[in-house]
Amino acid sequence: MLEAVHLTKRYASLPAVQDLSFSLRPGQVLGCLGPNGSGKSTTVKMLTGLLQPTRGVVQFDGHNIQDDLMAYRKRLGYVPEEPHLYPYLTGWEYLELIGTLRGMPRPDLEKKIDSLLELFSLHPNRHASIGSYSKGMRQRILLIAAIMDDPEIFIFDEPLSGLDVTSALIFKNLVQALGRQGKLVFYCSHVLEVVEKVCSDVLILRKGVVIAQDSVTNIGQILGQSLENTFLHLVDDVDTMTVARDIVSVMQMKAA
Amino acid sequence: MITQAADVIFRVWDDHRQRPFWRMVQLFVARIFRGGGDSDADGLDLGIGLVLTLLALPGAFVSLFLMDKYGSLLQWLRGITHVDTLAIVLPDEYFFIVLSMTVTGAVAVWRWDAIFPDRRDYMNLVPLPISTRSIFFANLVAVFFLVGLIACDVNAASCILFPTVVTASQSEFIFFVKFAVIHAVGVLLASVFAFFAVFLALGVLMAVLPPRALQRASAYVRGLVVVYLVGLLCTTFAVPDLLRQAGGHVPSWTALMPSTWFLGLCQSLRARADPVLTALSARVFPGVAAVVWLALCAYAVGYRRHFVRIAEIADTTVIARTPALSNRRWRMGILLDRVALRTPFQQGGFRFICKTMVRSEAHRLVLTGVGGLALVLASQAMLDAFEGARSWRAAALSPDALSIPFILSFLIIVGLRLVFEVPVELRSNWIFQLMLDSNGQECERLAQRVILILVLPGLAAITLPVYAYLENWRVACLHTLLVVTWSVLLTNIVLTRFRKLPFTCTLPLFKQHSFVIMLAFCFGFLIYAVSTPEFESLALLEPVRMLSFVPVAAVAWSIPHFLAKSAIDLDKKLIFEESPTQTIEALRLSD
Repeated sequence: MLEAVHLTKRYASLPAVQDLSFSLRPGQVLGCLGPNGSGKSTTVKMLTGLLQPTRGVVQFDGHNIQDDLMAYRKRLGYVPEEPHLYPYLTGWEYLELIGTLRGMPRPDLEKKIDSLLELFSLHPNRHASIGSYSKGMRQRILLIAAIMDDPEIFIFDEPLSGLDVTSALIFKNLVQALGRQGKLVFYCSHVLEVVEKVCSDVLILRKGVVIAQDSVTNIGQILGQSLENTFLHLVDDVDTMTVARDIVSVMQMKAA
Repeated sequence: MITQAADVIFRVWDDHRQRPFWRMVQLFVARIFRGGGDSDADGLDLGIGLVLTLLALPGAFVSLFLMDKYGSLLQWLRGITHVDTLAIVLPDEYFFIVLSMTVTGAVAVWRWDAIFPDRRDYMNLVPLPISTRSIFFANLVAVFFLVGLIACDVNAASCILFPTVVTASQSEFIFFVKFAVIHAVGVLLASVFAFFAVFLALGVLMAVLPPRALQRASAYVRGLVVVYLVGLLCTTFAVPDLLRQAGGHVPSWTALMPSTWFLGLCQSLRARADPVLTALSARVFPGVAAVVWLALCAYAVGYRRHFVRIAEIADTTVIARTPALSNRRWRMGILLDRVALRTPFQQGGFRFICKTMVRSEAHRLVLTGVGGLALVLASQAMLDAFEGARSWRAAALSPDALSIPFILSFLIIVGLRLVFEVPVELRSNWIFQLMLDSNGQECERLAQRVILILVLPGLAAITLPVYAYLENWRVACLHTLLVVTWSVLLTNIVLTRFRKLPFTCTLPLFKQHSFVIMLAFCFGFLIYAVSTPEFESLALLEPVRMLSFVPVAAVAWSIPHFLAKSAIDLDKKLIFEESPTQTIEALRLSD
């Protein structure tokens, strides 16, 4: 089980995340929602061990992940928000590099890379440099890199960004399948429909604080609305229709 | 037996190569060569082989040019029968040491952003089960490997060709071997010193400054290093003579010129050093050791301060500009729009070009290098003008003093023209492809205005008051008028058939006529910055003579206009991709 216990992160004196606690059980797919600046990325970075919390701990199976970060990362698959890849490596070379650095056995690694590239429709482009890949192709490379070592914990930060419809559908089904396999999945996204579809539970953040945490069904029932409306109600006190109308009137504004 | 042994070695090497640590070393070596930074910027992507060849070329060319000096037949034809090779080799040895330091230092400055692991490395490697210590050591091994590779590559040709050329007239092979080994020790140590000195500068900045300040300071420090290297190269021919004239005392300026230490080492190892060179040679090993040690310490501290904390830096760094500065720039922009930039394209294009040149590191570096060269040549001209002159007035009218604004304007105009060719973020040029009329032909005018706006006010601000003070208003106006006219003409010439929006077009690595263009620029420099001031110096004594510049200016004005008119429509279209000219081109009549 992965647990965040009273996590707090401050940058200088500015709090990015405050007293965040939740747990993620095997088989659970926990969605994390929040507007820009709500602390989602900071939370993800603390869960991956990239950031040290100012206060609180992240525990995996009862142990602080910082005690043996290498062992924890061996069991972690992470898809970051931005696809920072080495543009001069080919897709195959990148995956082979990641597999080697993860200590995967060689014959197994090559077979897995080829099969996954085939399944993600990247096999024909495996020897093209990543610099020539589209955003969706890069994203698929990141997904393969995260799953190919069969980790126990998955942390996905906006994993659908740039994916085409088919790849997005495959990925949504994959997340659900991973949940059924007993894996722990932490899923950060702006796309509410996807979170509603693939996640069993949801965590809503606002200004670094948890404002709601429950199963997707229960959260909707609280206000008797869809997840989208519930989210808007909880997070943004904004009349979206009025803002849209204002934007159109500014667009049409002419200099006097 | 040999095959079996080779197989075993190959297998062991292959196993070793596949270990995570060595894979990271390979990754870092590739990254340092192929570029760091956070973006996948489309810059000049040179292959490793090509880079190494280019780095080795200067040493090879210079060695071959020296055949004229050391060839025994040529010496005999000149009537020189007895030559003390080790005595006459001193300036050339010094030149190779400086060349080695300059090229290696320039590589270190060029790869400045890639030497340290960056955010991309962080995002790819840190989430994996690898300790940050392993990443640190893997990068360090990659840096050491690259220093060795670059030092050997830069000096390879000179270590073989230069001793061969110098000792060609000697009958003993051992003389060649000794000479070659000592030369190799000198230039290799000089290369290592130069690389680690730049590495130390970067490491100190990383260890001392917070990320935002580092970003700004690193641009200035890189510029200073480039100016220093250009200065070092330009003073090559003067330094050996200054050392000879030192009179037994080590000059204090040698502390700032480590190249002299390595010259001292070479001459000491050949037992041909005077007391000054002997004293200088004593600085080599402590100097190299200190620089390497300090660079490693700074690297360790910088790594801890920056790389390990990248996740936090990424979340907090937001660079905001001060409103006061933006307001001033805005007002200046309105003034320029009224006076010089009439169309919306020129107004928008001018801002885009200026901001790119100021904010893109590659462009800033090229401009700093050209600016440094201009300053060094201009100061040399100023020294020559005032050396032995009777008065300030007499010096001001000498060809050397008059050449200063010509030198500055020539190098800045040519430098700007060169910088316009260097692409930046080509993937972002879609907006221009979408919005600009490819038949509009406004790019040449825009580039011309940018150059003139950046060059003319500065030149006029220097020449007019200085000559008005030293001479009189008549001389000041005539000199300024000539400098301004020549600058406008040169701008027209360098922009002939320019049909790109600066920075938005691909740049082929080699053009067939690159060598011709280079020769034309060298020849042009002689006419523009040497012959013109000489003639002007005479003409200013009798201003009517200034009229003789008119026909020259008319010819220089008409040539670009004639070429522009004679171009077919296809050659006037705005381009975003320039492919290298094919040696053989198919006519494709069936297409």
